[in-house]
Amino acid sequence: MSADAPAGVRLGKCMTCHVRFLPVDGPCPKCGSRSTEPYVSPGIGTVLASTSLEVPPPGWQRPHPLAFVEVEDGVRLLVVPEAPPPGAGEVVEVWQDGEVYRARRSARSEGERGEGDAPRVGSSRPPFEPPR
Amino acid sequence: MTVRVASVGLGRFGKRPEGLVELAAEAAGLALEGIGRKTVDHLVVGTMLGHGPHGPFALLPRLAGRLGLESATGVRVEAASATGAMAFHEAVHAVQAGEAVRALVVAAEKMTDQPTPALTRELTAALHESEIAHGATMPGLGSLVSQRYFLHHELPAEVSARVTVHDREMASRNPNAHFQTPVTAEEVGASRPVALPLRLLHCAPISDGAAAVVVEKGRGPATVLGLGQGFDALRLIDRSDLSSFVATRLAARRAYEASRLTRKDVGMIELHDAFAPLGFIHLEDLGVCGPGEGPTWYDRGWVRPDGRVPVNPGGGLLGRGHPVGVSGLAGIGEVALQLRGEAGATSVAHRPKVGLAHSMAGLGAHNFVTILGETGG
Repeated sequence: MSADAPAGVRLGKCMTCHVRFLPVDGPCPKCGSRSTEPYVSPGIGTVLASTSLEVPPPGWQRPHPLAFVEVEDGVRLLVVPEAPPPGAGEVVEVWQDGEVYRARRSARSEGERGEGDAPRVGSSRPPFEPPR
Repeated sequence: MTVRVASVGLGRFGKRPEGLVELAAEAAGLALEGIGRKTVDHLVVGTMLGHGPHGPFALLPRLAGRLGLESATGVRVEAASATGAMAFHEAVHAVQAGEAVRALVVAAEKMTDQPTPALTRELTAALHESEIAHGATMPGLGSLVSQRYFLHHELPAEVSARVTVHDREMASRNPNAHFQTPVTAEEVGASRPVALPLRLLHCAPISDGAAAVVVEKGRGPATVLGLGQGFDALRLIDRSDLSSFVATRLAARRAYEASRLTRKDVGMIELHDAFAPLGFIHLEDLGVCGPGEGPTWYDRGWVRPDGRVPVNPGGGLLGRGHPVGVSGLAGIGEVALQLRGEAGATSVAHRPKVGLAHSMAGLGAHNFVTILGETGG
């Protein structure tokens, strides 16, 4: 693992509606505008959820950690974090290793570790109204 | 045109020595027993993996030949783990369109003859390519969604054992279920970790099995009242919501609107609970209870056969088993049996007038809702 790789994630930015997104190619997934520009996000994000696969697919070590991370620009990523994986609410640095996003605990999260309840993180939809 | 379920054939789920065609033919034979010598002029077959000596290839003529349906027309469908539900919807559409008078829907899956790593690779193929590139699996992503649910509603992950305990108790009443014995919450909590908080007993087993349903023009206790389906982004991180399934809400809304019913009319439910916490999420997405209230419904026994809305009386995916392409049709078949008063050992306390079957493809990329019941007026 290239643990010394600089943090940073290549993203796309829509110049029309200003949404940021993955992947960097193609039109804006929100408004369809072709006026988009690639840029590099610092890759600092918050873990939304994490786990370790005890039965990983062939080619991956056991246990194989996985996490959802929301980076500061509001873009979500599936990442392979360091093992054992950081828990929900922890701050991580994400970087790209080929087509795989990797993450490690950020120095900024040191003080937050070991807190009881994981904070609510991530953008959630409003409460569901039952179908009529 | 009004379409009804005319008969149901549910074979035994579990480790079976038979091959794909034999399993399909057995379930089809059971369903055809129920309708005598009436003509079936359309055959819809569903299988996700299609394992067998011939793969999924030419499954229709092979099966048509076995069943003496050479004069029928046919189609094969695939929608990952919602294949069985899609097959049913296609058969209903064919009858509604007047293309068929009576259609036989068969779903079959052969899984236990594969080594687990090979099977995992195949099931994982239903995920997005970038998820596969990160070494994700169904239980892995199922675990992440479950955690988002627990965090969002501030619930302890341990509550998910209730779904397994319920399904296994229901399965112990069902002679066709993969698992014939109940389990305790302690046993669930002590089972080996798969992708925490998911443990082995929170995950549906690998099963062989088949199901068949005959649909025809007409009315009855198991009339098709409403069908709905919904898509969501295949890649989970692209979804607006990581703690429940938009595709279920979309499918449910469409099925409720088509049936002109609300969730208050539903008398029993079959849920696609491939991972225990999903039982809560589905119940909430279907509007049966409010967000975060699923665990309470299981805890207070409101999902039991004598509860407010019986859920998975046949054992669900965690108890009856999960031959992937079959579960959607098995759920619909179970609902039809309950409505027709033919459920036998798995019968709910009071015969329902309306039942709902829910099915999910992959991890919620293409979900289906089927509402059956008595036609009013």
